[in-house]
Amino acid sequence: MRPSRTSYPLSWRLMDALEAVAAAVWPRSFSAAVPWLMLLPAVVLVGLLVLGLWDMADGSFRTLDTATFLPSDDYSLTNYHRAFTEKLFFTVASRSLIGSLIVTAVTLIFAFPYSYVMVRTRSAALRKFLLIALFLPFFIGQVVRAYGWLIILGSQGMVNEALGLVGVAPIRLLYNYPAVLFGLVQYMLPFAVLMLAPALTAIPEEMEAAAGSLGANWVRTFIHVVLPLAKPGFIGAGLVVMTLSLTDFAIPAILGGGSQDFIANAIYDQFFRTSDQGMGATLALLLVAVGSIMVGVVFALFGAGTLAMGRSK
Amino acid sequence: MTGSTKPSFQLGRRRFLQGVGLAGAAGLVGMPFGRAFAAEPEKPKEIIVRAWGGSWVDSLKAGVSDPFTKLTGIAVRHDLTEDNEIQPKLWAAAAQKRVPPIHVNWDTTTNATKSALRGVTEDLSDLPNLKTVSDAAKPVGVDGYPIVNTYGYVYVLAYRPEAFPDGAPKSWNVLLDPKFKGRVAVYNDGIGLHFPAEIAGGGKLEDIPANMQPAWDFFTKLKANEPLMGEDPDFTTWFQKGEIDVACTISSNAREAKKNGIAIAWTVPDEGATYETDGLWVPKYLPENELYWAKQYVNFALTLDAQQVWLDGLGLPGVVPGLKPPADLVGDASYPTKDEDYKKLLRVSSKVQVEHESEWFGKFKEIMQG
Repeated sequence: MRPSRTSYPLSWRLMDALEAVAAAVWPRSFSAAVPWLMLLPAVVLVGLLVLGLWDMADGSFRTLDTATFLPSDDYSLTNYHRAFTEKLFFTVASRSLIGSLIVTAVTLIFAFPYSYVMVRTRSAALRKFLLIALFLPFFIGQVVRAYGWLIILGSQGMVNEALGLVGVAPIRLLYNYPAVLFGLVQYMLPFAVLMLAPALTAIPEEMEAAAGSLGANWVRTFIHVVLPLAKPGFIGAGLVVMTLSLTDFAIPAILGGGSQDFIANAIYDQFFRTSDQGMGATLALLLVAVGSIMVGVVFALFGAGTLAMGRSK
Repeated sequence: MTGSTKPSFQLGRRRFLQGVGLAGAAGLVGMPFGRAFAAEPEKPKEIIVRAWGGSWVDSLKAGVSDPFTKLTGIAVRHDLTEDNEIQPKLWAAAAQKRVPPIHVNWDTTTNATKSALRGVTEDLSDLPNLKTVSDAAKPVGVDGYPIVNTYGYVYVLAYRPEAFPDGAPKSWNVLLDPKFKGRVAVYNDGIGLHFPAEIAGGGKLEDIPANMQPAWDFFTKLKANEPLMGEDPDFTTWFQKGEIDVACTISSNAREAKKNGIAIAWTVPDEGATYETDGLWVPKYLPENELYWAKQYVNFALTLDAQQVWLDGLGLPGVVPGLKPPADLVGDASYPTKDEDYKKLLRVSSKVQVEHESEWFGKFKEIMQG
């Protein structure tokens, strides 16, 4: 004899009820829409961003009237003309672009061995140490880290004090372009390691062992096996580091001593110092455009790397 | 700045009423202050005043906000958002006819003039205490009182005495001296230095704004001397850490640094020094009762007792007659009290400054970022 439903445990009956409610609210025939529903928050977020960009695009075609501090009613290309012809914007933009490329290259060079050791080491203690060292900087904000460098590299900082012990006079290590690049590399390193590590983990150790058994020394194994297989990680890490460096604000502001502005600093100045929101919007949109083009070029040449989640293109 | 260093502030309700409203009751002013004591608008629990941090807000709190709270029961919350960053928020609120995020904005006169020109400021012409303040309280180049200037300040040449054993530098050209290469500092927007640079560069104050070339020549030479560029807290840090020997900065910042034990002195060089003002203004679209009390706050800030405590803390000359300079600033060129003191200072109207600010800023940045 089949037992009565009332003899089922309470938790079963509760689950049945919940399933009935779920079926009423979201019938099984709707199941194909579930992935789209899960995409909805992202779509809303991106939509809001696009709305903001649209508003900025509108503002970028309006010039500031300094008699009323209101944007003009009519549209013009004046702000774009200024952005492309004024020396200040060229200087700042080229500094940002070159800086982001240098930082990306140096960061990837430093990040690779770190990631490789972290992934391949047999020592659990070393792996834990490397993981802690990797995540610790995430708990310390960018501004605090930049100020930390002021303490370490300042004229009366630890480095100069150490140099003083061997008779070297204090030297200016801060407030120049190399200091900004140095700060950015230090800031970007954990991001690059995090992006590289999964790609290296995906390379079977047996591949390296096979290369060795076929007579390749570690250099040839590295060049012909590890590097090509790690390419998706390099691309993903490179894209993240490049875009974050290109748009960085705090490190150039703090370690640059006011004379090494990046484009984000120039945008801030237009919005908040000269109250010229149209010019600020113009620079912001151009930054988005340049960053997008750079990412697009990388995608076209090398694919999206780990950002494509397994797909090569 | 600690409260213990300031004079005690004893102010009874009777005296407060004399300050803020009895003039109205006596028929000296019109509505709404004339009716204030017949039917006082409902008091908000608090009003929000934007302020600069550190010793600036401490001084405002001691001199104006706390006594205002004591007498009205209205709490005063200080919003320390940077003046440049609150501005777009206030402009956006006004454009959308929304209630603004603050009741009173403590602002530079130049910044405030922009807001006045944009039409987002309430007219303060009916404040009773405006009848007793000096001409310096009146903003130039705008109608009425969209802003009330509350004090003036001087961009002095601050220096490390140890680096100048022969005494204070006499000229702004010291910033160009190769001896101090990499050890000079200026504001990162050049503020405070444009006018002295014009004169030190061989021009005249009257040339501004038509011919700024002498200033640009000065800045070009300054760039070669590798200046550090930052904001007020940076200067304090740089002096403290021995990064710089000389800087163009606001006298009150230099004074505060000195109070905190940093070896620093300041001077007004022979070419003169920039004199500017700060003020208070009230944004549009506040509820009527909150607007009333925001105006009362500004009015109260123009009383002798409030200014004495507030500005003693900052070491700046106010706009109410009868103020006494702090003991350490008597005879100091950065604290002008007499006509001849003001003659040594360089003043250009806010209207000219706001009209040319973007252009001057761009040129300064072009030189310094090159």
